[in-house]
Amino acid sequence: MENTVTIGEKDAGARGATAASGSGTGTRAQGRAGSRRRLGWVAIVPFFAIVALFEIMPLLQLALNSVIGRDSETLGLENYVRVFTTPLYQQSIWNSVWISLLSAVVGIVVAFLAARFAHEASPRVRNAFTMILNMMSNFSGVPLAFAFMILMGNAGVLTLIGQRFGIPLLANFDLYGADGLVIMYIYFQIPLATLLLIPAFAGIRKSWREAATILQASAFDYWFRIVIPNLMPSILGTLSVLFSNALAAYATAYALVMNNYALLALQITSRFKGDVQTDAATGGALAVVLIALMVVCTLVNNYFTRRAAKGRELV
Amino acid sequence: MAYIEFRDVVKRFGDNTVLDHINFGIQQGDLVTLLGPSGCGKSTLLRCLSGLESVSEGQIVLDGRDVTNVPASKRNIGMVFQQYSLFPNMTVEQNVAFGLKMKKVPKDQIEKKVADAIEMVELKGKERAYPANLSGGQQQRAALARSIVTEPSVLLLDEPLSAIDAKLRKALQSRIREIHKELGLTTIFVTHDQDEAMVMSDVIQLFHSGRIEQAGSPVEVYTSPVSEFAASFIGSYNQLSAGEFSRLTGVAVPAGNVVAVRPETIGISLERPEAAEGAYVVRGTVIDSTPRGNVLRYTVNVGETTLRVDVLFRSFHMFDDLDTVWLTLPEHDCLCIPAESAA
Amino acid sequence: MAEKNLRATHAPAQKTSLAGKIFLGVVAAYLLVPFLATLVYSLFVEWTDILPSGFTLRNYQELFTNTVFWASIGRTLVLCLVSVAITIVLILLAMYVVVAVNRKVAPVMQFLCMIPYALQGVILSIGIISLYTGTGTILSNRMFMLFGAYTILVLPYIYQGIRNALNSIDAGMLIQAAEMLGCGRFRAYVQVVLPNILSGILVSSLLAESIIFGDFVLANNIAGTNYQNIQVFLQANMDVSSGLSSAVVVVIFVVVALVTALVLKLQGAAQNNAKEQA
Repeated sequence: MENTVTIGEKDAGARGATAASGSGTGTRAQGRAGSRRRLGWVAIVPFFAIVALFEIMPLLQLALNSVIGRDSETLGLENYVRVFTTPLYQQSIWNSVWISLLSAVVGIVVAFLAARFAHEASPRVRNAFTMILNMMSNFSGVPLAFAFMILMGNAGVLTLIGQRFGIPLLANFDLYGADGLVIMYIYFQIPLATLLLIPAFAGIRKSWREAATILQASAFDYWFRIVIPNLMPSILGTLSVLFSNALAAYATAYALVMNNYALLALQITSRFKGDVQTDAATGGALAVVLIALMVVCTLVNNYFTRRAAKGRELV
Repeated sequence: MAYIEFRDVVKRFGDNTVLDHINFGIQQGDLVTLLGPSGCGKSTLLRCLSGLESVSEGQIVLDGRDVTNVPASKRNIGMVFQQYSLFPNMTVEQNVAFGLKMKKVPKDQIEKKVADAIEMVELKGKERAYPANLSGGQQQRAALARSIVTEPSVLLLDEPLSAIDAKLRKALQSRIREIHKELGLTTIFVTHDQDEAMVMSDVIQLFHSGRIEQAGSPVEVYTSPVSEFAASFIGSYNQLSAGEFSRLTGVAVPAGNVVAVRPETIGISLERPEAAEGAYVVRGTVIDSTPRGNVLRYTVNVGETTLRVDVLFRSFHMFDDLDTVWLTLPEHDCLCIPAESAA
Repeated sequence: MAEKNLRATHAPAQKTSLAGKIFLGVVAAYLLVPFLATLVYSLFVEWTDILPSGFTLRNYQELFTNTVFWASIGRTLVLCLVSVAITIVLILLAMYVVVAVNRKVAPVMQFLCMIPYALQGVILSIGIISLYTGTGTILSNRMFMLFGAYTILVLPYIYQGIRNALNSIDAGMLIQAAEMLGCGRFRAYVQVVLPNILSGILVSSLLAESIIFGDFVLANNIAGTNYQNIQVFLQANMDVSSGLSSAVVVVIFVVVALVTALVLKLQGAAQNNAKEQA
């Protein structure tokens, strides 16, 4: 810190001198600029204060909760042991991971195709589609859960249609469980993923397709040897965003099943807002597990992205 | 019959006719340049030959085969694009090998051919580099290697050097010329740079608004432009209207024509030259001189007319501004060509 | 270059392939159907058969005469406007240090501002309630916690918006130029730089408003029924009256859609401007 301030002052001094050259007040200008410089740091204080109060300290609090045993009240891994040995928590972690992963993968596949077709479409079609994506990317959480209840709940329209026309897939669809969560998670992943992938397609140059055609590449070769490898960094990055997004999603699931499902986000919250008693220790450990999953996901993604990008510009 | 023939080729984009009945042939082994300003249709013609663009009317014949409706991948053509056509996810080696892989050439042969091609474009040592780590010139060398390694029947170069700075461009021009000679590969080169066309070509096809304005060897096109457009696009001809020329020389020129004189054919001296046989001699005032490489360009006012005169840059003989000088215009270098409006 | 443009403009108008139309249509339908179903549901008395019956605006009449609804809308707006305003001021002040005092804090700020983007609501909200609930300080006040939480939630969006706007006008250079003319650095920042990034701030703050408007997690976890925002209101009414709830969903969607449309319009205008200047 000290060091950077000095460098800053020298810099300001030089500028002050230039500005004041000829007027003979070089040194005074220098001094003033220096103290004004130091005063300037005051501007960043409120930001750091709020970030410390509402971002950093709460995180530290959770970490602290997680390492102080609920029963033993001593520092240790007691809470983590409980999290990884209690069936409800094991199930929650597992459900969160597979639902997030499945929704992310389905989301990215649909989004890839959608982005591809949108990229190739006429500007009119593309703009209309992007508009729909932007609008519907806001349709999540409680409203989304409500809409799906109307459609596929016990008395939902699609359920009725399924019953009337004998489509068991619709008639017996269980919205209030894993199936329902997956279908809703996929719903909110698609617009997000597509909006993230469409710009990546702009990096695909027309001349690649032309060069590939002239070099006698088939459509399959073009897509799997050129387009997809070139988009891989974007695809992986998006996949990572989707996974984290699903992992942390809360409102949609809560509105659908309240706390009656083994899902990490739901279980964490109910440890703190329990109907019976709060359990910050277990909740803290679960929260750290959630954060760890996100960090692992990001690290894995970074590793593969770097491999996929091998010393070239990212598209 | 020529190796490649364009027969009445027409290309329209909507209401816009980009190629207007193009007819010409290319001999096997020639390096032909399609030269012209931006938007004249030269690139479109190249793309029609490659199959990336279909023709609206007419026929394209390649080596005795009508390829008009043959898809691009079946024409056995090599093509180098303006820029950014290398696949960024592949190394130089992989890029060059791509076409061979697609042709299902055996692995051991691929290695040898790729190495040869890379050597030919002087990219040895860069085999494992990715395009993003190459300079523009190196990228175009790699693209060139990729397009010749498949042994195409014709090589198409679509302004491959336009994004490369002047010095490297010179080196690549001569490298392309050498490779062309080594392989005897029929090559079509598109450019808007007349100097490049002069250096590279066996034959120049000069394009103007979707038509071929003039065809011929570089020397022919340079020394005898057939129109005002050709004269202004090739070299930097002095162009005098019929009126101007007769005022200057007293010689009448048919109406609807202009007289074009290349700056380097005009003699310049302080003394009135003695033997003015077969030449027009006029008197003027130097108003400016600019060194242009090995040539010094004088701007000389002769009455109302301004002439440019190029002389080899010899420092021992320079004229100052406002010097009164005598200009000698050899008769046979004053070309009488149809004016633009009349054409 | 000119030739390229020519080719682009004269190329036959790009047509959308049939497969493309079908695929995009199916995706669009999947995205639109849940909302459209809710819209239809809100406009009919009954939907117990395949087709709804009895068109009515009763749900909306009921909603718009419901004082609890208006109260929750009011609270939501207060939360949106105040939190976003606080965040804007915080970031603008902090960015002054980045632009005019020392560039080296930029990565630190970037890191701190992007954390909430990864964390999202759950971790943030429980961290805050776990830390402050029952501490007896001013910070144990639910309202303080909620405003603090929203301020953090929208950090990434406001930060990126303001940073991009500052970068695009090269704020550092502007300040130096103003300084040469004898203007103080902070004054230059306020009088020269800020007016030039207003539209960037506007766009990112609208985006942030729509995020707070759509928030359920923070409001529910931190304030719950003590300070019901519109999403919590919806959740509380979902099981009570589905007719009313469907109308709430439509209202929420329309409001957010309007804000989004405005954002897109402003961004489009900014891009056109940039293109014209280029």
